[in-house]
Amino acid sequence: MKRPRAQAALATARRLLPWAIRALIAYALLAAFVPAQPRAPLGAPQTVQTDDPQLCMHTRLIDEVDEWKIQRSLALTREMGAGTIVEFFPWAYIEGSEGHYDWSSADRIVKQAQNQGIHIIARLGYVPDWARKLDNASDEFTTLNTLPPAAYPEFAQFVAAFAARYAGEIDDLIIWNEPNIAFEWGYQKVDPAGYASLLQAVYAPAHAANPNVKILAAGLAPTLEPVGSAVGLNDITYLDELYDAGAQPYFDALAIHAYGFTYPYNDPPAFDKLNFRRAELLRDVMVKHGDAAKPAFITETGWNDDPHWALAVSPSLRIGDTIGALDYAQKNWNWADKLCFWALRYPVPTLSYPDGYTFITTTFQLKPIYYAVQAFARGLEQDQALWLPAPVSTPSR
Amino acid sequence: MAARARLYALPLIVLAALLALALLRRAADGPPVPPAKLFPYGALRVGIDPSNPPFAVLNGNNLSGMDVDIANELGKRLDLPVQFVFLGYDGLYDSLKSDQTDALIAGLTIDLTRLNDVHYSQPYFNAGLVLVSDQGLAAMTDLPGHSLAYEFGSEADTQARDWLRRILPFATKPYELPTDALDAARLGDANAALVDAVSARLYLRAHPDWKPNLNYVTDNLYAVATQARRPEISVAVNDALQSMIDDGTLNQIINRWL
Repeated sequence: MKRPRAQAALATARRLLPWAIRALIAYALLAAFVPAQPRAPLGAPQTVQTDDPQLCMHTRLIDEVDEWKIQRSLALTREMGAGTIVEFFPWAYIEGSEGHYDWSSADRIVKQAQNQGIHIIARLGYVPDWARKLDNASDEFTTLNTLPPAAYPEFAQFVAAFAARYAGEIDDLIIWNEPNIAFEWGYQKVDPAGYASLLQAVYAPAHAANPNVKILAAGLAPTLEPVGSAVGLNDITYLDELYDAGAQPYFDALAIHAYGFTYPYNDPPAFDKLNFRRAELLRDVMVKHGDAAKPAFITETGWNDDPHWALAVSPSLRIGDTIGALDYAQKNWNWADKLCFWALRYPVPTLSYPDGYTFITTTFQLKPIYYAVQAFARGLEQDQALWLPAPVSTPSR
Repeated sequence: MAARARLYALPLIVLAALLALALLRRAADGPPVPPAKLFPYGALRVGIDPSNPPFAVLNGNNLSGMDVDIANELGKRLDLPVQFVFLGYDGLYDSLKSDQTDALIAGLTIDLTRLNDVHYSQPYFNAGLVLVSDQGLAAMTDLPGHSLAYEFGSEADTQARDWLRRILPFATKPYELPTDALDAARLGDANAALVDAVSARLYLRAHPDWKPNLNYVTDNLYAVATQARRPEISVAVNDALQSMIDDGTLNQIINRWL
């Protein structure tokens, strides 16, 4: 009984074999017609020449498909005179399944940045699907920012793996992002004590993996939300409560987000005002808690020139305030290690007002603010009018 | 080339949105879903960004704007109270994903890269760049030999520089503000101005005696976003929006603000 069946199977295989061979040949031929990816070979190693060592750009490279775009972005960063970038390395991208790390995307950024002579500050966050389920709750309504406390050890393990892999190349690690707003805390209740626990979970494993690592407490979202708000918590209050929760031994530096919004760069700070110099109030909280020796990194700053967003300014004001802020920080903020502008360029446009923060368009058009900052970093004075005077009401035609 | 690309891109985007909605309608065919099941929270929960005048702005406790009026009209047609959820841009799409909102009406441009998670209605407004001229210049290709005013450092500035690489030269006139650029076109200091549609319409409201032609150079199509996993809501919202277009209500709302 078995013999005829085996013969039938053999006959079927013989009949299908020529088709399989043809399919393979067709596949090989079609593959030959697919254009090769543009290559991004490393050129000679570069160094950043700048008059402003604080100048830094927040990049968005991890979502780039083409490596040449990473290379081009970093070359433009160097040519502008910024020696440091802040880049996001999502946990969800690197450890998509538990214990299996894919470093390829991160590696190519590190390799290209090193070649351009650019230092990287890494921001770590975004929770993989498997880790979001660790609290045994349904993941239906979780977001990439939902980190259940049950997953803190897994996140700490990832941070340690990152610290070990890039020791000597990336030593500054920002843990999470803006934990004082509900959106960045997975729409859970904002909880300074919870974030202190996260820093504690991460600190020792990261230092064990790389003794030179610097753990940066996350930059807080500039917000005036009062205690009890479902949306978030005032950043000054939050930092105070973070210290009260015992976080001090678990971070080596503080990341600060200091956006100017509609205020000029030199507008005086106040508890109830969101402006560039609000960073000084956060610094005061550090000093109040005996942390004056710790540095701060302004990891996000800048002005937005979207035409209609209520918190934006005109492109001309944006340029003036950006240059003013660089000059002000150089002269007054010796505690600020870096001043990182959000954002160099997006891989794809947001098609909304966040596009007004970029220095370079998605298609690599350099905006006037790029040239203005480049001139500042080279110590050049801008002596040409960039725009025409407003027309007068007498027709000239 | 770019004009031709735009000529094809706009219908393609609209076609993609309509096709997606047609597929949704097919998927949603069957017995009508009771409103209680469609909107289990008993309200149309609308994510809105109150920092985006004239679309939505919060003055004290008073929320107003074009997006607000559209949301309220949609609520009326769906027979549901509207509950606004205030969000910044960063939180808008996540609020849909985490079921904090049923729809986003927040000056959102149709983003084809998000179609896995989000459904968009048909466009309710085009906020792209417009060429404003009272001298018969209807397209960027008409500019060679003429002068163009725009806001320094703006999207129009980027576009102008882009076009200078493609067509014969035209004179560029950067100004500090879009209103200055429009002043230049109105007062004859430039042959045309390139500004976004919102700025142009607001300016023309303030200068009713000036009657230039407005022609779109780029598209920025605003639409209502809904959760992809709840196609019945997408269809219901789109049908309500269509009825607003059909009876002229949408135009009335737009004209109220712009």
